[in-house]
Amino acid sequence: MKRRGRGIACMWYPIGFTVSANPSAATVKMNEDGTATVLTGTVETGQGSLTVLGQIAAEALGIATDDVHVVSADTDTTPMDTGAIASRTTYVTGNAIFLAAEAAKAILFEAAAPMLDVKVSQLEAKDRKIQVKNYPQRNVSIGEVALRAQAVLGTPAIGSASWNPPTVALDPETGQGKPFATYVYATQIAEVDVDDETGEVEVLRIAAAHDCGTAINPMLVEGQVEGGISMGVGMALQEEMLFDANGRHINPNLTNYIMPTSLDMPEITVDIVQGFDPTGPFGAKGVGEPTAVPTSAAILNAIHDAVGVRVYSLPATSEKVLTAIKAKRAAEQKQIPA
Amino acid sequence: MNEHSRVLERDKLDIAEPLSDVELRLPAVLPRESYPIETLTPDARQQTRAVGQRVTRPDGRLHGLGQTKYIDDLSFPGMLYARIKRAGIASARIKRIDTSAAEAMPGVMAVLTGKEIPVNSFGPSFQDQPVLVDDLVFHAGDGVAAVAAVTEQIANEALEKIVVEYEPLPAVLDPVAAMREDSPKVHAPNSNIYATKTIRKGDVEKGLAESDHIFEDRFSTQMIEHVSLEPHAAIADWDANGRLTIWATIGRITLARADIARTLKLPMSRIRIIGTIVGGNFGGKNEISQEPALALLSKKTGRPVKGVFTRGEEFTSTTTRHPIIMDYKTGVTNKGRILARQIRLVLDGGAYCSWSETTLGKACILAPGPYKIDNVLSEAFVVYTNKTMTGAMRGFGAPQVCFAYESQMDDIAKKLGIDPLEIRLLNAFDEGSPSPTGQVLHSVVIKESLRKAADRFDWEPRS
Repeated sequence: MKRRGRGIACMWYPIGFTVSANPSAATVKMNEDGTATVLTGTVETGQGSLTVLGQIAAEALGIATDDVHVVSADTDTTPMDTGAIASRTTYVTGNAIFLAAEAAKAILFEAAAPMLDVKVSQLEAKDRKIQVKNYPQRNVSIGEVALRAQAVLGTPAIGSASWNPPTVALDPETGQGKPFATYVYATQIAEVDVDDETGEVEVLRIAAAHDCGTAINPMLVEGQVEGGISMGVGMALQEEMLFDANGRHINPNLTNYIMPTSLDMPEITVDIVQGFDPTGPFGAKGVGEPTAVPTSAAILNAIHDAVGVRVYSLPATSEKVLTAIKAKRAAEQKQIPA
Repeated sequence: MNEHSRVLERDKLDIAEPLSDVELRLPAVLPRESYPIETLTPDARQQTRAVGQRVTRPDGRLHGLGQTKYIDDLSFPGMLYARIKRAGIASARIKRIDTSAAEAMPGVMAVLTGKEIPVNSFGPSFQDQPVLVDDLVFHAGDGVAAVAAVTEQIANEALEKIVVEYEPLPAVLDPVAAMREDSPKVHAPNSNIYATKTIRKGDVEKGLAESDHIFEDRFSTQMIEHVSLEPHAAIADWDANGRLTIWATIGRITLARADIARTLKLPMSRIRIIGTIVGGNFGGKNEISQEPALALLSKKTGRPVKGVFTRGEEFTSTTTRHPIIMDYKTGVTNKGRILARQIRLVLDGGAYCSWSETTLGKACILAPGPYKIDNVLSEAFVVYTNKTMTGAMRGFGAPQVCFAYESQMDDIAKKLGIDPLEIRLLNAFDEGSPSPTGQVLHSVVIKESLRKAADRFDWEPRS
């Protein structure tokens, strides 16, 4: 008989890592038509990071995502970056790009101030224009300013910057200190059906609520959460590398190493928790890794809720769940007085 | 229009109305109508409040049309194909490698062994990993020789012709047994425990003594592979000027260049690493693997050399997720407040350190959970075994410890008759709470996330 259960799990996760400094550097080059090129040493690994980094540059420059082209991952041309690791790209590389864009923008403002007869401090970049704060009708297009800065004033609007998260090394004895600049938080709740005759677990739905500070791109955050949950389902129920007594891996193929397919995926709802981190670019933190953190715990708690057994070792395969159910029944029967 | 902008008229570029994005794109091979993919760019990409927009990815269209060029889609004139012979034995001394039969095969252009690598070790924390093993085998997925041939088939056949004689050594497979003094050493004479971490806050003994209930459990997790769609792949081209270009699926090109410079004794200015679009990383591609071997094969042959791992190599010869044995002892009050938590983590570190130090640190710091606990002792050990190396993987130890602390949390809730949501809200961090390392936390929204998920799920309290 199928028994339904629900399980909750929450988590915290740091952004960036702590072994030593983990800086990023970036260059932002304004083109003379008001578009921009960003140089970054990070790598697009499929998560959409270059899209998010382009959005950060665009926001800082007051232009649109389509106006920005991001060049990445070439040690001859792009500045150093600690890399696509530790959920740090949006936060650390994003901050470097933000600062580089601000530096390029400062050159634009220097060029624009005499054009608009105001001080630099009175300017803002918005809607592809440089305009006077509170007097948006006094404006000049960014392209015009970039062209003037480069072709008339001889000061092309190029900015470079680097950023490293502020941390305090841990005391080697007590481990006290500030290992990470910031953390994100999340909760996932899973609903499962457990077949108490076979031990088979079906994950029906997962409600995920994740904090990432400001969501630079909510659609990509949702994508990360859904992908992380698929890894969490595999960790909870299926995936395991097995070794023989001589230390040889016995299931190095996708026939015998079972991982979730689309048919194993539950219905997922993603909520982005309102948050703002003043140390991140436009309040953003990160989201990549945390999405895979609470899933297996939530599923295992749902199994416990459904059939009353606690599985202490992952993955909770049907065999393990069924063995635990049988052991529980045997223990309950023994307790019946004669 | 003011005076300054009028002056600029003559300098203006003649691009008054640029062509639209759709007009600029190359047409697809088939008529556009036949693709079931939306080809128009949504307006979000044109918005000038760029942050917060649901912007589509510029690479999405190429992915959707199957036109993204991954490394296996690239080729160069005269390019050779490399394959690596794997040890297939977990622990051994190499007595002899005979590559002569392989070298004599038509179509085989070069064979490389570990002894030919200038500095045969690398690693992000400890340089304990050889590019190709030369003396000792540390795990069954180790490479013992590499072949470059005109086709992949010939390279595969050449691997069969390479004869390696091993003297088997005792293998250490169980991390707990590996911690014992008398255990054989994976990297003798060094201890198998290659890194430790301790987080101590308050007085855990006192906290446990003051608790109404003590919960003590052991949890354990398994070894997991990232299983990226695209395997590890690289092309190395050593040109006539002695400059090396590598196209690689590496997520950290800055570190990769440093590692390649070290292993090949090359100045960094002679190395160019181009990170191609990567078909999934999840932490599995954060360090070099076959790249120095490909570079040396290219140097030997004067031709570009491509290497693409098989799915089997992805499992046995690349990093994986750490299995962790987790002992949790937690003291709580009758009302469900956690007073003390004592944790001991043993991470199976596999044959090489890789990103174990980072994983150890994160697991140890995160292990108490997102809860206000005054008394914490968290100790973590990472141990060498003769198995596939463990390293970075999405979450760096956090999914493992979350499974432990959240499983125990539900057991505590059940025993005390408290709703699982309530007990978490009771203990969760607030803005300004100190973390286990004494860090004052800011932008803390754990309770908001609990409430939001509970609302979405329609969580009804029950105890």
